[in-house]
Amino acid sequence: MEKEKISELRGLMKTRLNRPMRYYLDLCTRCGLCYDTCHVYQGIPKKEYSPVGRSEVVRRLFKKHFRLSGRLFPYWGDAAALDDAVMDDVYEAAFSCTGCRRCMVHCPFGIDIPHILSMAKLMLIGNGTAPEELVMLADMAVEKGESVEVFRDGFKENIRNLEKDVQQRLGLASSEGLIPMEKKGANILYVGLSGAHSIVHPAVIFNRAGENWTLSFFEGVNFGAFAGDPVKMDLIAKRIINEATELGVKEVVMVECGTAYRILKFLTGEHPFRVSSIVEVIHRYISEGKIKVRGGAISEPLTYHDPCQLGRNGGIFDEPREILAILALDYREMSPTREYNWCCGGGGGLVALDNEQFRIKSGKIKKDQIAATGAKIVVSACENCITQLGTIQTGYGLDVQVRSLTELVSENLDI
Amino acid sequence: MRDTLYYFIMVPMVYLAAAVFVAGLFFKFMNVMLSPRIKGRLGLFPRRLPRAAGVLKDAFALPPAFRKDKVFWALIIAFHVAFVLLALGHLELIREFAFLQIIPHQVFLGAGAVGIVLIAATLYFLFRRFRTPWREISVPEDFILLLVLFVTMIFGSHMHLAARYGIAGFDIPLEDYRAYLGGLVSFKPVIPDMIANSPHYIIIVIHIFFANLFIMLFPFSKMIHSVFAFSALSLKRK
Repeated sequence: MEKEKISELRGLMKTRLNRPMRYYLDLCTRCGLCYDTCHVYQGIPKKEYSPVGRSEVVRRLFKKHFRLSGRLFPYWGDAAALDDAVMDDVYEAAFSCTGCRRCMVHCPFGIDIPHILSMAKLMLIGNGTAPEELVMLADMAVEKGESVEVFRDGFKENIRNLEKDVQQRLGLASSEGLIPMEKKGANILYVGLSGAHSIVHPAVIFNRAGENWTLSFFEGVNFGAFAGDPVKMDLIAKRIINEATELGVKEVVMVECGTAYRILKFLTGEHPFRVSSIVEVIHRYISEGKIKVRGGAISEPLTYHDPCQLGRNGGIFDEPREILAILALDYREMSPTREYNWCCGGGGGLVALDNEQFRIKSGKIKKDQIAATGAKIVVSACENCITQLGTIQTGYGLDVQVRSLTELVSENLDI
Repeated sequence: MRDTLYYFIMVPMVYLAAAVFVAGLFFKFMNVMLSPRIKGRLGLFPRRLPRAAGVLKDAFALPPAFRKDKVFWALIIAFHVAFVLLALGHLELIREFAFLQIIPHQVFLGAGAVGIVLIAATLYFLFRRFRTPWREISVPEDFILLLVLFVTMIFGSHMHLAARYGIAGFDIPLEDYRAYLGGLVSFKPVIPDMIANSPHYIIIVIHIFFANLFIMLFPFSKMIHSVFAFSALSLKRK
């Protein structure tokens, strides 16, 4: 590796040396309690896929390039210099991790290993070896934010078509205004994804609840975060923040996308509006009697997969369970569950990459968990999880249906 | 030559170790404080306890270790409790502290058992690292620190046990240790004759040498977990 490149990568590492990164890099005792807490390690038991194995890849580079002890006595901490082979290890560490933070639950110090790996992802961008798909999708999202006028009319036309679907589902005479856009002073700005289902089902629910809402021009998904580019992550999130601020909404409601929810709620500072997940809003509507779902509508055994970014990273555990307790006659909990639940293997942008065989292997523990419940329906509330659960289902020939919570509610509204 | 070397270890090196320890901790602390904050929150859920109580529970009860490996957990707790007791014991080697004699005891507390527990736990931590998968994730620092601790403790424990149980020739009284350590603390260093002329002087020198080494390594090694653990655990609940 050329000197200039090493210096550039070192510079990028330095930009990520914030306070938590400093102590996360220094305090790991390599006690090994996290060793087998990663779903990838459960499927592919290699040191490289253990949380400590992943973080050591970055820690060794940090020691070599930022610590006098690492430069003078590399033997002491197994410090490693930047080179092409090490960058392959960096890729393996960063893009086998879904950022689920299950390891953090099991770390006695609470070290956030995906936070350490954010440094690895940034180095890969600098090295030109970050996954092209994610970088390209992030660029497109940023571009969309900068030239919203170009696609505004086309997007509105598509939405008019979706309104007809909503009209049909609600059994109304007119489709006019069923998916409002650019509505100033609305209570809620709903942020969907590019798929129609992510707009139609919430629209049915909002209309049933008589909500004063408006649809965002942008998708919630943040490919900047998946790629590991903090600048693009901010730009992508800012599209929504600016839109919400300009419209003066009270609340931004995020589609079933765990990462989008977590970024807006916890990783972009304070906002003049409240941030909620669609799951919380559905729960609120049911509690307030604004919508009713058909009690016991689903008789087949059903289980819920906690999306990591909504559950242990977002604090949304009870709401989906309380919704499903009404809908399902035979609800079955996975084991382990809630904050200890195994990640499905789809997060961190991994489902957008060409890595299906890897994801099937890394999803083995999730497959075992689902099979052990005997459930015939697996419900989740995150687009990435639903895609990955589908991959696990086909990969292992699992006899289950994978369903989205919002869809299930929308289809079982007591109209 | 030998006397000079022994004197260096017993006096100047102790001051050097203390200076490196304080400066090192200050450096590490400033290193963190001068780094940018993050604008987000990295906390985990659920949070069943108030933040401060949760941090204290995580730091002192180690729930993740308890859930995962009860033997390891018990030895970690035993190790840390024994470490604190030994630190207090060394305070009593400087001078008498009334608050430490609430439970009247002969210095050190535990009649030698504390040191033995510490040695046993250290050996467990060391041998645990010889096994897969912990062998693969260990780096030389992990072994060296445990070895430095082991040597320090084995000689320290020997000094204590030998004196307490009257092993021939090992009858350095408490007053002489207090004269030595009290002298260091008051910057009037002296090595009492009972220590310097003891046939076991070398045992003391080795103990002090490795203790100095450990103290100097403390801020620059993973031992910094004793400080940064609280920052990380606090962030986990923010």
